[in-house]
Amino acid sequence: MSSTQPARPAWLSPRPGRHSPGLGRHSPGPSPAGLSRRALLRGGAAALGAVAAGGALGGCSAGPPPGTATWSMWSSSPQEQAVWDDFGRYVERRMKVRSVSTLTPSEGYPTKLDLQLVSGTASIVTALNGWLIPTYASRGAHRPLDDLIADDPDFDLSDFYPAIRSISSFGHKTYAIGFDVAPTVLYYNRTLLEKNGIDPPSPTEPMSWEHFSELAVELSRKPDQYGFTCAPAIDDLVSWIYSAGGNVMNEAQDAGALHEPEALEAIGFVVDLFVKKKAAPPISNLVTEDALANFLQGNVAFMQNGPWQVVNVRKAPFEWDIVPFPAGPAGSRPRVSGSSFAIPSGVGGDELKLAWRLLKTLTSTGALNIYARAGRNNPARRSAGSAFTPPPRNLGIVQDILAGRLPHAGGHPFDVTTNWNRVRQLLGQDLPRAFLGQVSVADAVGGLTTRLDVLMRQHQDALRQAGG
Amino acid sequence: MALEAHSAARGAIPRTAKPPPHPGRWQRWKRSEAFAAWLFLLPSLVGFLVFTAGPVLAAAVISLLDWNLFSPPSFAGLGNFARLGSDPTFWTALGNTAYFTFVSVPLTLLVSLGTALLLNHGLRRMAIFRSLLLLPYATITVAVAFVWIWLYIPHDGLVNSVLGLVGIHGPAWLVSEGWAMPALILMSVWKSFGFGMVIFLAGLAAIPQQLYEAARVDGATPWQSFRKVTLPLLSPSVFFTVVTSVIGSFQVFDQALIMTDGGPGARTTTLVMYIYQTGFENYDQGYAAAQSLVLFAFVAVITGLQFLAQRRLVHYDV
Repeated sequence: MSSTQPARPAWLSPRPGRHSPGLGRHSPGPSPAGLSRRALLRGGAAALGAVAAGGALGGCSAGPPPGTATWSMWSSSPQEQAVWDDFGRYVERRMKVRSVSTLTPSEGYPTKLDLQLVSGTASIVTALNGWLIPTYASRGAHRPLDDLIADDPDFDLSDFYPAIRSISSFGHKTYAIGFDVAPTVLYYNRTLLEKNGIDPPSPTEPMSWEHFSELAVELSRKPDQYGFTCAPAIDDLVSWIYSAGGNVMNEAQDAGALHEPEALEAIGFVVDLFVKKKAAPPISNLVTEDALANFLQGNVAFMQNGPWQVVNVRKAPFEWDIVPFPAGPAGSRPRVSGSSFAIPSGVGGDELKLAWRLLKTLTSTGALNIYARAGRNNPARRSAGSAFTPPPRNLGIVQDILAGRLPHAGGHPFDVTTNWNRVRQLLGQDLPRAFLGQVSVADAVGGLTTRLDVLMRQHQDALRQAGG
Repeated sequence: MALEAHSAARGAIPRTAKPPPHPGRWQRWKRSEAFAAWLFLLPSLVGFLVFTAGPVLAAAVISLLDWNLFSPPSFAGLGNFARLGSDPTFWTALGNTAYFTFVSVPLTLLVSLGTALLLNHGLRRMAIFRSLLLLPYATITVAVAFVWIWLYIPHDGLVNSVLGLVGIHGPAWLVSEGWAMPALILMSVWKSFGFGMVIFLAGLAAIPQQLYEAARVDGATPWQSFRKVTLPLLSPSVFFTVVTSVIGSFQVFDQALIMTDGGPGARTTTLVMYIYQTGFENYDQGYAAAQSLVLFAFVAVITGLQFLAQRRLVHYDV
């Protein structure tokens, strides 16, 4: 041994005066502090065991006890959190059971829900965005509710708007019960219009596309002032496509329809507002591009969005209101979307009874009054509609459109497929290049048509498998 | 009595004292250093088995299945691997990942080495500079990515504003087909050069000064000293940095997801991003697992080649 070899740690020093066959110098011995290697190892092993056992027990015992009303929901702001806390208290008051909500930011909600459903750790009631209902229903992740509805004379499905009943159904079965539903509307900056000498649009009669485009261009003449903003994504684009009489897929849902003249006209109309007419704020990135943020800056005259943004636009430092979506060749037919609560397939027995009671409570008029009163969105029940109150002054048009009370302003249920995630991904990847002026609309659509057709055929396969 | 006295006289063990029991193999093993080593390695080993080896094995099994998460899986054989050949997005993603790797790794290496050499040349208060330059590496990618989105805003973002000062009209960065990937690379180099810098600083500190003195006495120029002394003796640090950077670059995901979401078109869709989309957005777990294994194979082969090259290019002795 070299004299420069570092000293061994004290707890590895040999114990003097004890015969340790086979161990030689490396035999255990007490350190000056009295801690032997063996003692340290024993302690370490015990600590490891305790950690492992604790972890295992913790993992096994995770989750609230049976009889707890568990429900999952997305929540991305303290304001949303406050509403869901109120929901929780309402559930406990009405059901006399403990309420436990799992709140997840909206971006990560579907992935978390997938993993919870697969691992059997999902809540007994889960919120679903309407466009995901066919995806989950066709895979058997959630159960149809028709038997529960039929066995429950207290539950009145007719109080829900037909649009949300349609959105919450798949294959003629009800898979979810809605909590909100609304058409896309057009927000306008009244202050900006007045400053430019333009009268506010009619709250009952939608503008024509031509008139809307003229206004948007007129309002974009001043530097750093724009006529219109929307997200360069299919979720916003689809309202224009419906209003032109087109759709993403054909009526049989077995082929794409974006290459049809109606859809091309609609996409071209919006892309021109961005690229040729420069009537929209330039797109600086494709991820955080936020139409609402653009609108709230006060230099954009019109924004298409849902009434779920009313609560956020109320912070705007200018006067604003909403009007019906502009009418294209097929009229004013913006996307109608909504969200619902559903019960995972794995829920059964007494838990199913509790889940149904919970689902009814979460979608009851009382709960939706809380939701609407907080300004979150238009409630899915007619009986809770009076809780969704102005401002803005024209907020009532949302319910008028849903009820068909405005003769020239309607809506179109958001038509989605069982693989809408993939359709969305495809369109989200290819269409923005047209918004950026990198390719023409015809080229962008032409480049994705074959792949869209493949996805539609896969959708048909999924429908057949779900039916069989 | 006479016998006992005789025995005692010969120094034998008294009959009343039992000889120590001969320890068995298990006892000897328990007392050995190997046992102690295994015991201390156990947490890492369990972690490796549960969180690395287990998932790799699971991925290998899942890659043979057709599984959408919710329906029972069915056996697909090698079908998922066969699909890769005719999937243009997979090859685009692989190409993008290779582009990212083969540009960002050399750049990161150069910036790291350059910074380390500057800091190593007697800079005062080096600890402060070292800490400041290491900050980007210590910051989480998500936060950095959001900041860089703002820096890259085409019209009045900081990057284009600075370029404008010298008369350059900057591109639209994150929404430009040609510039989106370079923008990601630039941000990644800025984010990660600090790690290499620290490794190189440690390597530079380990080079004996006598070698430089000897080179100076022999009339070597600074460049010759760098080429003949510094670089060879720094080669283990370079090797380590290259291997870890290449592995990390092939797994690039978060900055692309946050800054470009793979666009415009599929210009910045990386392989890991595509795997994530396939598995968790398209519910195609078998195909995603097959892609993961192919990525694993690519990284393994490239790392293997680097280790082969190490024999000729890396010098561990002075």
